[in-house]
Amino acid sequence: MPITTTRRRLLAGSAAALALPAFARAQGAVKPRLTAISQWSAGSDGAAITALGKKFEEKGGVWQHSPVPGFTTEMMNKLRAQIMAGDPPACSQLKGPEIAAWSKIAPTVNLDDLVAAVGYEKVVAPDLARLHKPGGKWIALPLQIYSTNMLFLSKRAMDKAKAGKIPVTWTDFNDLAEKMKAGGVTYPIANGGTRPDDGQKFEAALAGISPASYRAAIMNLDEKALKGPEVGAAFAQVRKIADWMDPNVGAQHFSTNLKRFVDGDMGMMIMGGWAQGVLRNAGFKFDDFIIAPGPSDNTKPVFLLNADAFIFWQRKEPDLQAGQTLMAQLVMDPAIQTMYSQITGSIPVRTDVDLSGEGWSDGQRRTAAALKDAIASNQAVLSLAHNMAQENGMTAAMIDVITEYVKNKTIKPEQAVTRLAEAVEGAR
Amino acid sequence: MIDTVSIATRPVRPAIAGALRRLPEYLMIWVPLLLSALHLVSFSLWTIWISFTPSTLVPVSGWVGLRNYTAVAASRNWQIAFDNLLLFGSAFVLLSVVTGLVLAILLDQRIRGENLLRSIFLYPLAVSFVVTGTVWSWLLSPGIGIQKLVHDLGWTSFKFDWLIDRDMAIWTIVIAAIWQSSGFAMALFLAGLRSVDADIIKAAQIDGAGPIRIYRRVILPTLWPITITVIVVQLQFAISAFDLVRALTNGGPGIATQLPALVVYDLMFQRSLLGRGAAAAVLMLLILLAVLLPYAAWRYVQRRRAIHA
Repeated sequence: MPITTTRRRLLAGSAAALALPAFARAQGAVKPRLTAISQWSAGSDGAAITALGKKFEEKGGVWQHSPVPGFTTEMMNKLRAQIMAGDPPACSQLKGPEIAAWSKIAPTVNLDDLVAAVGYEKVVAPDLARLHKPGGKWIALPLQIYSTNMLFLSKRAMDKAKAGKIPVTWTDFNDLAEKMKAGGVTYPIANGGTRPDDGQKFEAALAGISPASYRAAIMNLDEKALKGPEVGAAFAQVRKIADWMDPNVGAQHFSTNLKRFVDGDMGMMIMGGWAQGVLRNAGFKFDDFIIAPGPSDNTKPVFLLNADAFIFWQRKEPDLQAGQTLMAQLVMDPAIQTMYSQITGSIPVRTDVDLSGEGWSDGQRRTAAALKDAIASNQAVLSLAHNMAQENGMTAAMIDVITEYVKNKTIKPEQAVTRLAEAVEGAR
Repeated sequence: MIDTVSIATRPVRPAIAGALRRLPEYLMIWVPLLLSALHLVSFSLWTIWISFTPSTLVPVSGWVGLRNYTAVAASRNWQIAFDNLLLFGSAFVLLSVVTGLVLAILLDQRIRGENLLRSIFLYPLAVSFVVTGTVWSWLLSPGIGIQKLVHDLGWTSFKFDWLIDRDMAIWTIVIAAIWQSSGFAMALFLAGLRSVDADIIKAAQIDGAGPIRIYRRVILPTLWPITITVIVVQLQFAISAFDLVRALTNGGPGIATQLPALVVYDLMFQRSLLGRGAAAAVLMLLILLAVLLPYAAWRYVQRRRAIHA
């Protein structure tokens, strides 16, 4: 059927359409709308944020998510361009100390009342909370947590080494690696060759040797701690790890070697909790590997925090403001956090979410328990390799030293300590 | 040869009329030329300005003098990048000129299937550097590439692991870059070889010179202006090399194969230090000028000499 209309009708319709938002505003019933940018476009990350958007729409909101696929830095370039053009998104992905740095270049939303209304601060790890309230006000909200120092053990490599005990301290770890080597595991450590990969080895070593030293040296950049014996011991441990790795990896991603890891050609992997999702996506079974907290010399779990978050940028439009309120409420909601983490394989930010039910893996339960214990013993610290402990410039300067040390076996641990301290001084 | 006297004494009025008649042509050329010059110059000036400011996440005004420059020059990344540039630049330019010249001479022998061979050698030029880098990173990776192939064929002691060897990794970039661009040098040299006057060659033959001697004494000396052009074009590629390295080694192992363009990108977009990144970019521009200015001067002298000859 052809649609016919008169010019008058068309004009009346347009006028009504134009007047509608104003009318709605006058009624105090704006439809919440959210413009958001993130790098999550595909895989489990994309699925999770799409699910979050569905929830947003169910609550009557308009969800306008523009993903910028690729590295985080590419998302940041888009964010930078939008801020400089005076048109920031209502909320964007950003994490760690970058939240404080970026909050200085454009006004952000004060979320204190919303956070207080649900008593959120009591259920978030203190170090994590601090990152999201630079200047004492909540301007960003963490979304999900990963630990970067989980220990993945290949069941077949364990069988070859005739070992059944999960290593707790670095000494246990080194003994197991020797046993695996003797038992015919070609490379006791499975690894990739990327910068964060190398950085993770170092942060796991230092935090496992002494969380207090990690906090002082890496998070607070204390000069004495940076040159302290613990940092030297950490570099020595990293050298041992590097000697057990496959040198032929170039700059490959860690996931390239997962099959060799499961087959028992490689034994152990120090990797973030996200590797569970990658292993599962690659078709491997939970029986193929064991997940445990990373080695800790004082036997209490050490948790290297990596958390994704959203920062909220100030907008004048009432519908965007309403959207920000709704988004903040959703992100803090335990049901939403459960949904999100079950899709991505992370653990919820809230420490009061019950993980005993359906939909959680043993690895996730163990990670969440480790986080609780680590917070109780003040051993939950911020990851360097994943840009949680320092701003990008400082992180990159430190990782330069670490990645060169991993690749160049002629550098002595003492030299690496000096170089790290110099790099910190140069980047300050 | 131009007769300068006749130009100077030409009547003025027809010149203006001629210029008016040719106005549309000038407009066609000058508008885009002006726009692109403005574009180029204004952004270069802006980058130079930023390099003297304390800009980090976003550009800000302010004056820090040469602090960004001293910080960049003192950083290990830049020092490694600069050393690598010297090594990569000279090795790449020299080897690509030699490879291109040898290929051109071989093709110059009026062989069968010359067109096909020329296409094959030129083909890599049509491939993006990112593709070249990725393919070579597979070939050179010891675990999956050439080394594994030779091992599987039975020669198990064979070792070719430059890609993961800190001291040799820069040579993998040289290899890939030569593969990519020696075809370009070949094409220019071949054109040069073909433009040598056949009469001169015949004269040399009559005088009893053999083919090697003809090449050495007669043909190759006429090629040196082309050689200079090839060197300059390849040098500016070497100085601004980015995508090939990023795909092939990404500056690794560790930071062993850093190059200036990678440092600029890293500072600006990964470390969010716009001021320092701009300073590194200006340093790169200076290196480029160090190559291009002598070339321009040489061209100027050549032209003067041609006019006065």
